[in-house]
Amino acid sequence: MSAATSNPQAPVVELAPFRGGRRWVVGGGAAGLVFLILTFIGMAVSPREAFYSYLVAFAYWCGIAMASVILLMIFHATHARWMTVLRRPVEVMAASVAIFLLLFIPLAIGMKHIYIWVDPPADLGREALRLLAHKRPYLNPTGFVVRAVAYLLVATFLSWRLYGWSLRQDKTGEVALTQRQRNLGAGGLPFIGIAISFAAFDWLMSLNPTWFSTVYGVYFFSGSLVASLSLLAIVTGMGRARNVFGGHMTDEHTHSVGKLMLAFTCFWTYIAFSQLLLIWIAGLPEETPFYITRFGAGWAWVGALLIFGHFFLPFAALLSRSLKRNPFRLGVVAGWILLIHYVDIFWLVMPSLHPEGFSLHWTNVTAFLGVGLVAIAFAVSRLRGRFAIPVKDPYLADSFRYRP
Amino acid sequence: MSAGHEDSGFVARRFVVAEFATPEALLAGTRKVREGGYKDVDTHTPIPIHGLEAALGLGRPKIPTIVLCGAIAGICIAYSMIYFCNVIDFPINVANRPMHSPPANIPITFELAVLLAGGSSFFGFFTLAGLPKPYHPIFESEQFGRAAIDAFFLSVELPVGADADRALADVRAAGAASAELVHESER
Repeated sequence: MSAATSNPQAPVVELAPFRGGRRWVVGGGAAGLVFLILTFIGMAVSPREAFYSYLVAFAYWCGIAMASVILLMIFHATHARWMTVLRRPVEVMAASVAIFLLLFIPLAIGMKHIYIWVDPPADLGREALRLLAHKRPYLNPTGFVVRAVAYLLVATFLSWRLYGWSLRQDKTGEVALTQRQRNLGAGGLPFIGIAISFAAFDWLMSLNPTWFSTVYGVYFFSGSLVASLSLLAIVTGMGRARNVFGGHMTDEHTHSVGKLMLAFTCFWTYIAFSQLLLIWIAGLPEETPFYITRFGAGWAWVGALLIFGHFFLPFAALLSRSLKRNPFRLGVVAGWILLIHYVDIFWLVMPSLHPEGFSLHWTNVTAFLGVGLVAIAFAVSRLRGRFAIPVKDPYLADSFRYRP
Repeated sequence: MSAGHEDSGFVARRFVVAEFATPEALLAGTRKVREGGYKDVDTHTPIPIHGLEAALGLGRPKIPTIVLCGAIAGICIAYSMIYFCNVIDFPINVANRPMHSPPANIPITFELAVLLAGGSSFFGFFTLAGLPKPYHPIFESEQFGRAAIDAFFLSVELPVGADADRALADVRAAGAASAELVHESER
Protein backbone atom coordinates (compact mmCIF):
# COMPACT_ATOMS: atom_id res chain seq x y z
CA MET A 1 0.00 0.00 0.00
CA SER A 2 1.32 3.40 -0.94
CA ALA A 3 -0.09 6.89 -0.81
CA ALA A 4 -0.23 7.06 -4.59
CA THR A 5 -2.60 4.11 -4.95
CA SER A 6 -4.83 4.57 -1.92
CA ASN A 7 -7.47 7.22 -1.59
CA PRO A 8 -6.42 10.06 0.72
CA GLN A 9 -9.98 11.39 1.02
CA ALA A 10 -11.56 8.13 2.13
CA PRO A 11 -13.68 8.66 5.24
CA VAL A 12 -12.47 6.99 8.39
CA VAL A 13 -15.03 4.33 9.23
CA GLU A 14 -15.08 3.21 12.82
CA LEU A 15 -16.62 -0.19 12.33
CA ALA A 16 -15.51 -3.53 13.66
CA PRO A 17 -15.63 -6.56 11.37
CA PHE A 18 -18.97 -8.35 11.34
CA ARG A 19 -19.07 -11.00 14.08
CA GLY A 20 -22.81 -11.66 14.24
CA GLY A 21 -24.85 -14.20 12.35
CA ARG A 22 -23.51 -17.20 14.30
CA ARG A 23 -27.04 -18.46 14.79
CA TRP A 24 -27.67 -18.31 11.05
CA VAL A 25 -24.49 -20.17 10.18
CA VAL A 26 -24.59 -22.87 12.88
CA GLY A 27 -28.28 -23.15 13.73
CA GLY A 28 -29.58 -22.30 10.25
CA GLY A 29 -27.01 -24.49 8.54
CA ALA A 30 -27.77 -27.46 10.82
CA ALA A 31 -31.52 -27.05 10.39
CA GLY A 32 -31.00 -26.75 6.64
CA LEU A 33 -29.05 -30.01 6.56
CA VAL A 34 -31.80 -31.74 8.55
CA PHE A 35 -34.42 -30.50 6.09
CA LEU A 36 -32.23 -31.59 3.18
CA ILE A 37 -31.89 -35.09 4.69
CA LEU A 38 -35.68 -35.22 5.12
CA THR A 39 -35.99 -34.26 1.45
CA PHE A 40 -33.53 -36.98 0.49
CA ILE A 41 -35.64 -39.47 2.45
CA GLY A 42 -38.61 -38.14 0.50
CA MET A 43 -36.68 -38.78 -2.71
CA ALA A 44 -36.32 -42.42 -1.71
CA VAL A 45 -40.00 -42.77 -0.76
CA SER A 46 -41.75 -40.80 -3.53
CA PRO A 47 -39.01 -39.77 -5.96
CA ARG A 48 -41.08 -37.81 -8.47
CA GLU A 49 -42.75 -35.55 -5.89
CA ALA A 50 -39.53 -35.01 -3.96
CA PHE A 51 -37.31 -34.30 -6.97
CA TYR A 52 -39.82 -31.85 -8.39
CA SER A 53 -39.99 -30.14 -4.99
CA TYR A 54 -36.22 -30.01 -4.92
CA LEU A 55 -36.14 -28.50 -8.42
CA VAL A 56 -38.54 -25.73 -7.32
CA ALA A 57 -36.40 -24.97 -4.28
CA PHE A 58 -33.16 -25.11 -6.24
CA ALA A 59 -34.44 -22.84 -9.03
CA TYR A 60 -35.82 -20.42 -6.43
CA TRP A 61 -32.67 -20.00 -4.34
CA CYS A 62 -30.13 -20.41 -7.12
CA GLY A 63 -32.08 -17.86 -9.19
CA ILE A 64 -31.84 -15.37 -6.33
CA ALA A 65 -28.09 -15.97 -6.02
CA MET A 66 -27.48 -15.64 -9.77
CA ALA A 67 -29.67 -12.52 -9.95
CA SER A 68 -27.60 -11.09 -7.09
CA VAL A 69 -24.46 -11.62 -9.15
CA ILE A 70 -26.10 -9.70 -11.99
CA LEU A 71 -27.26 -6.97 -9.60
CA LEU A 72 -23.74 -6.56 -8.25
CA MET A 73 -22.32 -6.43 -11.77
CA ILE A 74 -24.90 -3.86 -12.89
CA PHE A 75 -23.91 -1.71 -9.91
CA HIS A 76 -20.27 -1.92 -11.00
CA ALA A 77 -20.98 -1.51 -14.70
CA THR A 78 -23.02 1.65 -14.15
CA HIS A 79 -20.38 3.09 -11.77
CA ALA A 80 -23.07 3.43 -9.14
CA ARG A 81 -21.84 5.23 -6.05
CA TRP A 82 -24.98 5.41 -3.91
CA MET A 83 -25.01 1.69 -3.24
CA THR A 84 -21.44 1.39 -1.93
CA VAL A 85 -22.64 1.24 1.68
CA LEU A 86 -24.99 -1.68 0.93
CA ARG A 87 -22.74 -3.44 -1.57
CA ARG A 88 -21.37 -5.97 0.91
CA PRO A 89 -24.74 -7.75 1.41
CA VAL A 90 -25.13 -7.96 -2.39
CA GLU A 91 -21.60 -9.33 -2.71
CA VAL A 92 -22.31 -11.95 -0.07
CA MET A 93 -25.62 -12.96 -1.68
CA ALA A 94 -23.80 -13.22 -5.01
CA ALA A 95 -20.89 -15.21 -3.59
CA SER A 96 -23.35 -17.76 -2.15
CA VAL A 97 -23.90 -19.03 -5.71
CA ALA A 98 -20.92 -21.37 -5.21
CA ILE A 99 -22.88 -23.62 -2.83
CA PHE A 100 -25.29 -24.45 -5.65
CA LEU A 101 -22.55 -26.44 -7.36
CA LEU A 102 -22.96 -28.87 -4.44
CA LEU A 103 -26.71 -28.49 -4.23
CA PHE A 104 -27.00 -29.36 -7.92
CA ILE A 105 -25.86 -32.96 -7.29
CA PRO A 106 -29.35 -34.24 -6.31
CA LEU A 107 -30.73 -32.83 -9.56
CA ALA A 108 -28.01 -34.56 -11.59
CA ILE A 109 -28.89 -37.81 -9.84
CA GLY A 110 -32.66 -37.43 -10.04
CA MET A 111 -32.81 -36.09 -13.59
CA LYS A 112 -34.68 -39.12 -14.92
CA HIS A 113 -37.51 -38.58 -12.41
CA ILE A 114 -37.97 -34.97 -13.49
CA TYR A 115 -37.32 -34.57 -17.20
CA ILE A 116 -39.25 -36.55 -19.77
CA TRP A 117 -36.49 -36.05 -22.37
CA VAL A 118 -34.00 -38.18 -20.41
CA ASP A 119 -35.82 -41.33 -21.44
CA PRO A 120 -38.83 -40.46 -23.61
CA PRO A 121 -41.67 -42.97 -23.16
CA ALA A 122 -42.82 -44.62 -26.39
CA ASP A 123 -46.45 -43.52 -25.90
CA LEU A 124 -45.48 -39.86 -26.20
CA GLY A 125 -46.59 -39.68 -29.83
CA ARG A 126 -44.65 -39.88 -33.06
CA GLU A 127 -44.30 -36.14 -33.55
CA ALA A 128 -43.06 -35.50 -30.01
CA LEU A 129 -40.57 -38.37 -30.22
CA ARG A 130 -39.25 -37.02 -33.51
CA LEU A 131 -38.80 -33.58 -31.93
CA LEU A 132 -37.00 -35.01 -28.91
CA ALA A 133 -34.69 -37.03 -31.16
CA HIS A 134 -33.97 -33.82 -33.05
CA LYS A 135 -33.16 -31.99 -29.78
CA ARG A 136 -31.04 -34.87 -28.49
CA PRO A 137 -27.67 -33.24 -29.28
CA TYR A 138 -28.64 -30.46 -26.84
CA LEU A 139 -31.08 -32.11 -24.44
CA ASN A 140 -29.13 -35.08 -23.14
CA PRO A 141 -28.07 -35.97 -19.58
CA THR A 142 -24.34 -35.34 -20.09
CA GLY A 143 -24.89 -32.00 -21.75
CA PHE A 144 -27.37 -31.03 -19.03
CA VAL A 145 -24.86 -31.62 -16.23
CA VAL A 146 -21.89 -30.11 -18.07
CA ARG A 147 -23.84 -26.97 -18.93
CA ALA A 148 -25.25 -26.57 -15.41
CA VAL A 149 -21.74 -26.80 -13.97
CA ALA A 150 -20.59 -24.25 -16.55
CA TYR A 151 -23.38 -21.77 -15.66
CA LEU A 152 -22.63 -22.09 -11.97
CA LEU A 153 -18.87 -21.82 -12.52
CA VAL A 154 -19.33 -18.62 -14.54
CA ALA A 155 -21.47 -17.13 -11.77
CA THR A 156 -19.10 -18.34 -9.06
CA PHE A 157 -16.03 -17.02 -10.83
CA LEU A 158 -17.55 -13.57 -11.39
CA SER A 159 -18.94 -13.19 -7.87
CA TRP A 160 -15.85 -14.54 -6.09
CA ARG A 161 -13.52 -12.40 -8.20
CA LEU A 162 -15.56 -9.26 -7.48
CA TYR A 163 -15.95 -10.09 -3.79
CA GLY A 164 -12.25 -10.97 -3.52
CA TRP A 165 -11.18 -7.64 -4.96
CA SER A 166 -13.62 -5.84 -2.72
CA LEU A 167 -12.23 -7.61 0.36
CA ARG A 168 -8.68 -6.86 -0.72
CA GLN A 169 -9.57 -3.19 -0.99
CA ASP A 170 -10.77 -3.31 2.63
CA LYS A 171 -7.17 -3.99 3.60
CA THR A 172 -5.11 -2.07 1.05
CA GLY A 173 -7.44 0.69 -0.12
CA GLU A 174 -6.08 0.37 -3.67
CA VAL A 175 -8.18 2.54 -6.00
CA ALA A 176 -7.17 0.37 -8.97
CA LEU A 177 -9.30 -2.45 -7.57
CA THR A 178 -12.41 -0.34 -8.10
CA GLN A 179 -11.49 0.02 -11.75
CA ARG A 180 -11.02 -3.74 -12.05
CA GLN A 181 -14.40 -4.40 -10.46
CA ARG A 182 -16.02 -2.02 -12.91
CA ASN A 183 -14.31 -3.60 -15.90
CA LEU A 184 -15.24 -7.13 -14.88
CA GLY A 185 -18.73 -5.98 -13.91
CA ALA A 186 -19.37 -4.65 -17.39
CA GLY A 187 -17.40 -7.24 -19.34
CA GLY A 188 -18.87 -10.23 -17.53
CA LEU A 189 -22.52 -9.25 -17.96
CA PRO A 190 -23.00 -11.00 -21.35
CA PHE A 191 -21.64 -14.23 -19.90
CA ILE A 192 -23.79 -14.23 -16.77
CA GLY A 193 -26.79 -13.11 -18.86
CA ILE A 194 -26.37 -16.09 -21.18
CA ALA A 195 -25.73 -18.37 -18.19
CA ILE A 196 -28.96 -17.48 -16.35
CA SER A 197 -31.05 -17.60 -19.57
CA PHE A 198 -29.80 -21.02 -20.53
CA ALA A 199 -30.08 -22.19 -16.92
CA ALA A 200 -33.78 -21.33 -17.13
CA PHE A 201 -34.07 -23.14 -20.47
CA ASP A 202 -32.31 -26.25 -19.15
CA TRP A 203 -33.69 -26.49 -15.62
CA LEU A 204 -37.25 -25.23 -16.08
CA MET A 205 -38.29 -24.88 -19.71
CA SER A 206 -37.11 -28.38 -20.64
CA LEU A 207 -39.82 -29.74 -18.32
CA ASN A 208 -42.00 -29.37 -21.44
CA PRO A 209 -39.34 -30.33 -23.96
CA THR A 210 -41.56 -29.88 -27.02
CA TRP A 211 -42.56 -26.40 -25.93
CA PHE A 212 -40.51 -23.22 -26.19
CA SER A 213 -40.66 -19.54 -25.33
CA THR A 214 -37.77 -17.30 -26.27
CA VAL A 215 -38.42 -14.89 -23.40
CA TYR A 216 -38.41 -17.66 -20.78
CA GLY A 217 -34.87 -16.90 -19.61
CA VAL A 218 -35.68 -13.25 -19.07
CA TYR A 219 -38.86 -14.24 -17.24
CA PHE A 220 -36.86 -16.35 -14.81
CA PHE A 221 -34.25 -13.62 -14.44
CA SER A 222 -36.76 -10.84 -13.86
CA GLY A 223 -38.61 -12.73 -11.14
CA SER A 224 -35.34 -13.74 -9.52
CA LEU A 225 -34.08 -10.16 -9.55
CA VAL A 226 -37.23 -8.87 -7.80
CA ALA A 227 -36.73 -11.61 -5.20
CA SER A 228 -33.03 -10.76 -4.89
CA LEU A 229 -33.82 -7.07 -4.30
CA SER A 230 -36.49 -8.06 -1.78
CA LEU A 231 -34.02 -10.24 0.08
CA LEU A 232 -31.59 -7.30 -0.01
CA ALA A 233 -34.28 -5.04 1.47
CA ILE A 234 -34.88 -7.52 4.30
CA VAL A 235 -31.17 -8.15 4.94
CA THR A 236 -30.29 -4.45 4.98
CA GLY A 237 -33.37 -3.72 7.11
CA MET A 238 -32.23 -6.31 9.66
CA GLY A 239 -28.68 -4.95 9.44
CA ARG A 240 -29.88 -1.42 10.11
CA ALA A 241 -31.98 -2.54 13.06
CA ARG A 242 -28.91 -4.28 14.55
CA ASN A 243 -26.61 -1.36 13.67
CA VAL A 244 -24.45 -3.57 11.44
CA PHE A 245 -23.73 -0.68 9.07
CA GLY A 246 -22.67 1.70 11.83
CA GLY A 247 -25.62 4.00 11.10
CA HIS A 248 -24.20 4.84 7.68
CA MET A 249 -27.06 3.27 5.79
CA THR A 250 -29.98 5.69 5.82
CA ASP A 251 -33.59 5.93 4.72
CA GLU A 252 -32.30 7.23 1.38
CA HIS A 253 -30.61 3.90 0.63
CA THR A 254 -33.64 1.92 1.76
CA HIS A 255 -35.80 4.17 -0.41
CA SER A 256 -33.67 3.44 -3.46
CA VAL A 257 -33.79 -0.32 -2.89
CA GLY A 258 -37.58 0.06 -2.73
CA LYS A 259 -37.56 1.99 -6.01
CA LEU A 260 -35.60 -0.82 -7.66
CA MET A 261 -38.11 -3.33 -6.30
CA LEU A 262 -40.93 -1.31 -7.86
CA ALA A 263 -39.11 -1.01 -11.18
CA PHE A 264 -38.32 -4.71 -11.43
CA THR A 265 -41.83 -5.68 -10.33
CA CYS A 266 -42.99 -3.80 -13.42
CA PHE A 267 -40.24 -5.47 -15.47
CA TRP A 268 -41.40 -8.94 -14.38
CA THR A 269 -44.97 -8.03 -15.26
CA TYR A 270 -43.92 -6.71 -18.64
CA ILE A 271 -42.04 -9.91 -19.49
CA ALA A 272 -44.76 -12.18 -18.11
CA PHE A 273 -47.44 -10.37 -20.04
CA SER A 274 -45.38 -10.24 -23.27
CA GLN A 275 -44.97 -14.00 -23.13
CA LEU A 276 -48.67 -14.55 -22.51
CA LEU A 277 -49.89 -12.08 -25.13
CA LEU A 278 -47.66 -13.31 -27.95
CA ILE A 279 -48.54 -16.95 -27.36
CA TRP A 280 -52.23 -16.22 -26.81
CA ILE A 281 -52.65 -14.00 -29.85
CA ALA A 282 -50.80 -16.33 -32.23
CA GLY A 283 -52.54 -19.41 -30.88
CA LEU A 284 -50.07 -21.82 -32.48
CA PRO A 285 -50.48 -25.46 -31.41
CA GLU A 286 -46.78 -25.90 -30.53
CA GLU A 287 -46.72 -22.81 -28.31
CA THR A 288 -49.98 -23.03 -26.38
CA PRO A 289 -49.66 -26.23 -24.27
CA PHE A 290 -47.84 -24.37 -21.46
CA TYR A 291 -50.80 -22.06 -20.95
CA ILE A 292 -53.49 -24.64 -21.67
CA THR A 293 -52.28 -26.62 -18.65
CA ARG A 294 -52.05 -23.51 -16.50
CA PHE A 295 -55.43 -22.11 -17.59
CA GLY A 296 -57.03 -25.40 -16.51
CA ALA A 297 -59.41 -25.38 -13.56
CA GLY A 298 -56.82 -26.68 -11.08
CA TRP A 299 -54.16 -24.09 -11.88
CA ALA A 300 -56.05 -20.99 -13.07
CA TRP A 301 -56.43 -19.60 -9.56
CA VAL A 302 -52.65 -19.81 -9.04
CA GLY A 303 -52.15 -17.75 -12.21
CA ALA A 304 -54.73 -15.23 -10.98
CA LEU A 305 -52.94 -15.12 -7.64
CA LEU A 306 -49.70 -14.34 -9.49
CA ILE A 307 -51.28 -11.46 -11.40
CA PHE A 308 -52.57 -9.90 -8.20
CA GLY A 309 -49.85 -10.99 -5.79
CA HIS A 310 -46.82 -10.57 -8.02
CA PHE A 311 -47.95 -7.34 -9.68
CA PHE A 312 -50.95 -5.40 -8.38
CA LEU A 313 -50.28 -5.82 -4.68
CA PRO A 314 -46.53 -5.02 -4.59
CA PHE A 315 -46.96 -2.36 -7.27
CA ALA A 316 -49.65 -0.53 -5.32
CA ALA A 317 -47.75 -0.90 -2.06
CA LEU A 318 -44.41 0.22 -3.50
CA LEU A 319 -45.93 3.35 -5.04
CA SER A 320 -46.00 4.80 -1.54
CA ARG A 321 -42.95 6.89 -0.74
CA SER A 322 -43.27 6.63 3.02
CA LEU A 323 -43.49 2.82 2.78
CA LYS A 324 -40.27 2.62 0.77
CA ARG A 325 -38.46 4.79 3.32
CA ASN A 326 -39.47 2.61 6.24
CA PRO A 327 -37.19 -0.47 6.50
CA PHE A 328 -39.78 -2.48 8.42
CA ARG A 329 -42.73 -1.84 6.13
CA LEU A 330 -40.55 -2.30 3.05
CA GLY A 331 -39.40 -5.57 4.62
CA VAL A 332 -43.01 -6.74 4.94
CA VAL A 333 -43.62 -6.11 1.23
CA ALA A 334 -40.28 -7.75 0.43
CA GLY A 335 -41.30 -10.81 2.45
CA TRP A 336 -44.53 -11.01 0.49
CA ILE A 337 -42.61 -10.78 -2.82
CA LEU A 338 -40.26 -13.56 -1.68
CA LEU A 339 -43.31 -15.71 -0.94
CA ILE A 340 -45.09 -14.97 -4.20
CA HIS A 341 -41.88 -15.56 -6.15
CA TYR A 342 -41.94 -19.09 -4.74
CA VAL A 343 -45.50 -19.43 -6.05
CA ASP A 344 -44.19 -18.21 -9.42
CA ILE A 345 -41.46 -20.88 -9.61
CA PHE A 346 -43.93 -23.46 -8.28
CA TRP A 347 -46.33 -22.45 -11.08
CA LEU A 348 -43.56 -22.87 -13.63
CA VAL A 349 -42.52 -26.34 -12.45
CA MET A 350 -45.32 -28.25 -10.76
CA PRO A 351 -47.95 -28.33 -13.55
CA SER A 352 -45.57 -30.67 -15.38
CA LEU A 353 -46.04 -33.18 -12.54
CA HIS A 354 -49.67 -32.42 -11.71
CA PRO A 355 -51.35 -31.15 -14.89
CA GLU A 356 -54.74 -31.74 -13.30
CA GLY A 357 -54.32 -29.12 -10.62
CA PHE A 358 -52.51 -27.65 -7.64
CA SER A 359 -51.19 -30.01 -5.00
CA LEU A 360 -48.65 -29.52 -2.26
CA HIS A 361 -46.32 -32.25 -1.03
CA TRP A 362 -44.49 -32.14 2.30
CA THR A 363 -41.17 -32.23 0.44
CA ASN A 364 -42.05 -28.83 -1.06
CA VAL A 365 -41.60 -27.37 2.42
CA THR A 366 -38.53 -29.38 3.44
CA ALA A 367 -36.73 -28.76 0.13
CA PHE A 368 -37.47 -25.02 0.28
CA LEU A 369 -36.18 -24.73 3.84
CA GLY A 370 -33.29 -27.13 3.30
CA VAL A 371 -31.83 -25.46 0.21
CA GLY A 372 -32.63 -21.99 1.54
CA LEU A 373 -31.16 -22.37 5.00
CA VAL A 374 -28.01 -24.04 3.70
CA ALA A 375 -27.53 -21.27 1.12
CA ILE A 376 -28.17 -18.54 3.71
CA ALA A 377 -25.80 -20.17 6.20
CA PHE A 378 -23.13 -20.32 3.50
CA ALA A 379 -23.75 -16.68 2.55
CA VAL A 380 -23.55 -15.44 6.15
CA SER A 381 -20.37 -17.46 6.70
CA ARG A 382 -18.84 -15.54 3.75
CA LEU A 383 -19.43 -12.30 5.67
CA ARG A 384 -18.32 -13.25 9.17
CA GLY A 385 -15.01 -11.67 10.11
CA ARG A 386 -15.24 -9.17 7.25
CA PHE A 387 -16.48 -5.60 7.33
CA ALA A 388 -20.21 -5.18 6.67
CA ILE A 389 -19.47 -2.24 4.36
CA PRO A 390 -16.52 -1.80 1.96
CA VAL A 391 -14.61 0.42 4.37
CA LYS A 392 -11.96 1.69 1.93
CA ASP A 393 -13.98 2.07 -1.23
CA PRO A 394 -13.10 5.44 -2.81
CA TYR A 395 -16.77 6.27 -3.27
CA LEU A 396 -17.84 5.45 0.27
CA ALA A 397 -18.09 9.13 1.21
CA ASP A 398 -20.42 9.75 -1.73
CA SER A 399 -22.56 6.86 -0.59
CA PHE A 400 -22.70 8.14 3.00
CA ARG A 401 -24.07 11.50 1.97
CA TYR A 402 -26.36 10.09 -0.70
CA ARG A 403 -29.41 12.31 -1.20
CA PRO A 404 -31.17 11.58 -4.50
CA MET B 1 -41.40 56.05 -6.41
CA SER B 2 -44.92 55.68 -5.10
CA ALA B 3 -46.34 52.30 -4.21
CA GLY B 4 -49.51 52.74 -6.27
CA HIS B 5 -51.60 54.98 -8.47
CA GLU B 6 -54.86 56.06 -6.94
CA ASP B 7 -56.52 56.74 -10.30
CA SER B 8 -56.25 53.18 -11.71
CA GLY B 9 -56.72 51.33 -8.42
CA PHE B 10 -53.47 49.47 -9.07
CA VAL B 11 -51.56 48.43 -5.96
CA ALA B 12 -48.00 47.35 -6.73
CA ARG B 13 -46.92 44.12 -5.04
CA ARG B 14 -43.74 44.59 -3.07
CA PHE B 15 -40.95 42.07 -2.60
CA VAL B 16 -37.91 42.03 -0.41
CA VAL B 17 -35.10 40.41 -2.42
CA ALA B 18 -32.10 39.34 -0.38
CA GLU B 19 -28.85 37.80 -1.53
CA PHE B 20 -27.00 35.23 0.56
CA ALA B 21 -23.32 34.41 0.20
CA THR B 22 -23.53 30.62 0.51
CA PRO B 23 -26.16 27.87 0.27
CA GLU B 24 -25.71 27.21 3.99
CA ALA B 25 -26.40 30.84 4.80
CA LEU B 26 -29.47 30.72 2.57
CA LEU B 27 -30.77 27.61 4.35
CA ALA B 28 -30.29 29.15 7.77
CA GLY B 29 -31.65 32.50 6.61
CA THR B 30 -34.75 30.92 5.11
CA ARG B 31 -35.55 29.15 8.35
CA LYS B 32 -35.02 32.33 10.36
CA VAL B 33 -37.17 34.49 8.08
CA ARG B 34 -40.01 31.97 8.19
CA GLU B 35 -39.72 31.76 11.96
CA GLY B 36 -40.02 35.55 11.94
CA GLY B 37 -43.60 35.11 10.74
CA TYR B 38 -43.21 35.86 7.02
CA LYS B 39 -45.55 33.76 4.90
CA ASP B 40 -44.79 34.23 1.18
CA VAL B 41 -41.14 33.22 1.21
CA ASP B 42 -39.39 31.77 -1.82
CA THR B 43 -35.78 30.99 -2.74
CA HIS B 44 -33.98 31.23 -6.08
CA THR B 45 -30.75 29.32 -6.65
CA PRO B 46 -28.69 28.27 -9.66
CA ILE B 47 -28.25 24.72 -8.28
CA PRO B 48 -30.53 22.38 -6.33
CA ILE B 49 -29.85 22.67 -2.60
CA HIS B 50 -30.81 19.77 -0.35
CA GLY B 51 -33.00 20.74 2.55
CA LEU B 52 -34.50 23.86 0.99
CA GLU B 53 -37.95 22.29 0.61
CA ALA B 54 -37.93 21.52 4.32
CA ALA B 55 -36.62 25.00 5.19
CA LEU B 56 -39.39 26.54 3.07
CA GLY B 57 -41.96 24.22 4.67
CA LEU B 58 -43.22 23.08 1.28
CA GLY B 59 -44.36 19.61 2.33
CA ARG B 60 -44.78 16.75 -0.09
CA PRO B 61 -45.33 17.63 -3.78
CA LYS B 62 -48.81 17.17 -5.24
CA ILE B 63 -47.56 15.92 -8.62
CA PRO B 64 -47.58 12.18 -7.70
CA THR B 65 -51.29 12.30 -6.82
CA ILE B 66 -52.08 14.12 -10.07
CA VAL B 67 -50.08 11.57 -12.06
CA LEU B 68 -51.85 8.69 -10.33
CA CYS B 69 -55.24 10.22 -11.19
CA GLY B 70 -54.08 10.67 -14.80
CA ALA B 71 -53.01 7.03 -15.01
CA ILE B 72 -56.27 5.74 -13.53
CA ALA B 73 -58.26 7.96 -15.91
CA GLY B 74 -56.22 6.56 -18.82
CA ILE B 75 -56.94 2.99 -17.75
CA CYS B 76 -60.67 3.64 -17.41
CA ILE B 77 -61.01 5.56 -20.68
CA ALA B 78 -58.98 3.09 -22.76
CA TYR B 79 -60.55 -0.05 -21.39
CA SER B 80 -64.13 1.19 -21.61
CA MET B 81 -63.52 2.53 -25.13
CA ILE B 82 -62.11 -0.83 -26.32
CA TYR B 83 -64.94 -2.65 -24.62
CA PHE B 84 -67.53 -0.38 -26.22
CA CYS B 85 -66.02 -0.75 -29.70
CA ASN B 86 -65.39 -4.50 -29.60
CA VAL B 87 -68.40 -5.76 -27.70
CA ILE B 88 -71.23 -3.23 -28.09
CA ASP B 89 -70.76 -1.00 -31.09
CA PHE B 90 -68.99 -3.09 -33.72
CA PRO B 91 -68.41 -6.75 -32.75
CA ILE B 92 -66.21 -8.63 -35.23
CA ASN B 93 -65.33 -12.27 -34.89
CA VAL B 94 -61.51 -12.53 -34.96
CA ALA B 95 -60.25 -16.13 -35.04
CA ASN B 96 -63.24 -17.10 -32.89
CA ARG B 97 -61.89 -15.35 -29.82
CA PRO B 98 -64.36 -13.93 -27.32
CA MET B 99 -65.54 -10.42 -28.13
CA HIS B 100 -64.18 -9.32 -24.80
CA SER B 101 -60.56 -10.59 -24.80
CA PRO B 102 -58.66 -8.94 -21.93
CA PRO B 103 -55.08 -9.79 -23.07
CA ALA B 104 -55.57 -7.92 -26.34
CA ASN B 105 -56.86 -4.86 -24.47
CA ILE B 106 -53.95 -4.50 -22.08
CA PRO B 107 -51.39 -2.81 -24.40
CA ILE B 108 -53.72 0.05 -25.37
CA THR B 109 -54.87 0.42 -21.77
CA PHE B 110 -51.25 0.60 -20.64
CA GLU B 111 -50.33 3.08 -23.36
CA LEU B 112 -53.16 5.47 -22.56
CA ALA B 113 -52.37 5.20 -18.85
CA VAL B 114 -48.77 6.19 -19.59
CA LEU B 115 -49.82 8.96 -21.96
CA LEU B 116 -52.25 10.55 -19.55
CA ALA B 117 -49.88 10.05 -16.61
CA GLY B 118 -47.10 11.75 -18.56
CA GLY B 119 -49.39 14.52 -19.76
CA SER B 120 -50.79 15.14 -16.30
CA SER B 121 -47.30 15.33 -14.80
CA PHE B 122 -46.29 17.90 -17.45
CA PHE B 123 -49.42 20.02 -17.34
CA GLY B 124 -49.88 19.47 -13.63
CA PHE B 125 -46.43 20.91 -13.03
CA PHE B 126 -47.18 23.87 -15.31
CA THR B 127 -50.41 24.61 -13.51
CA LEU B 128 -49.00 24.24 -10.00
CA ALA B 129 -45.96 26.37 -10.87
CA GLY B 130 -48.22 29.06 -12.32
CA LEU B 131 -46.64 28.79 -15.77
CA PRO B 132 -46.54 30.36 -18.28
CA LYS B 133 -45.69 33.57 -16.44
CA PRO B 134 -44.16 36.18 -18.73
CA TYR B 135 -43.73 38.76 -15.97
CA HIS B 136 -42.88 38.59 -12.31
CA PRO B 137 -42.14 41.66 -10.20
CA ILE B 138 -38.97 40.12 -8.80
CA PHE B 139 -37.24 40.69 -12.15
CA GLU B 140 -37.39 44.41 -11.42
CA SER B 141 -34.31 43.75 -9.31
CA GLU B 142 -31.08 44.42 -11.25
CA GLN B 143 -29.18 41.81 -9.24
CA PHE B 144 -31.73 39.05 -9.60
CA GLY B 145 -30.48 37.73 -12.95
CA ARG B 146 -27.53 36.24 -11.11
CA ALA B 147 -29.87 33.73 -9.46
CA ALA B 148 -29.38 31.70 -12.65
CA ILE B 149 -25.58 32.03 -12.47
CA ASP B 150 -23.87 32.26 -9.10
CA ALA B 151 -26.05 33.86 -6.44
CA PHE B 152 -28.47 32.54 -3.82
CA PHE B 153 -31.57 34.67 -3.38
CA LEU B 154 -34.42 34.75 -0.96
CA SER B 155 -37.58 36.68 -1.71
CA VAL B 156 -40.44 37.67 0.55
CA GLU B 157 -43.68 39.09 -0.75
CA LEU B 158 -44.86 41.77 1.66
CA PRO B 159 -48.54 41.98 2.55
CA VAL B 160 -50.27 45.25 1.75
CA GLY B 161 -49.42 47.80 4.39
CA ALA B 162 -46.50 45.89 5.89
CA ASP B 163 -43.48 47.83 7.08
CA ALA B 164 -40.86 47.43 4.34
CA ASP B 165 -37.98 48.81 6.41
CA ARG B 166 -38.62 46.32 9.18
CA ALA B 167 -38.70 43.46 6.64
CA LEU B 168 -35.39 44.62 5.15
CA ALA B 169 -33.85 44.73 8.61
CA ASP B 170 -35.22 41.28 9.40
CA VAL B 171 -33.70 39.58 6.33
CA ARG B 172 -30.37 41.30 6.98
CA ALA B 173 -30.52 40.02 10.53
CA ALA B 174 -31.17 36.55 9.11
CA GLY B 175 -27.79 36.64 7.41
CA ALA B 176 -28.43 38.25 4.01
CA ALA B 177 -25.35 39.84 2.43
CA SER B 178 -27.56 42.45 0.79
CA ALA B 179 -31.27 43.17 0.56
CA GLU B 180 -33.45 45.45 -1.50
CA LEU B 181 -37.09 46.29 -1.96
CA VAL B 182 -38.66 45.86 -5.42
CA HIS B 183 -42.03 47.06 -6.63
CA GLU B 184 -44.23 45.56 -9.28
CA SER B 185 -44.25 47.66 -12.42
CA GLU B 186 -47.65 48.90 -13.59
CA ARG B 187 -47.00 48.11 -17.26
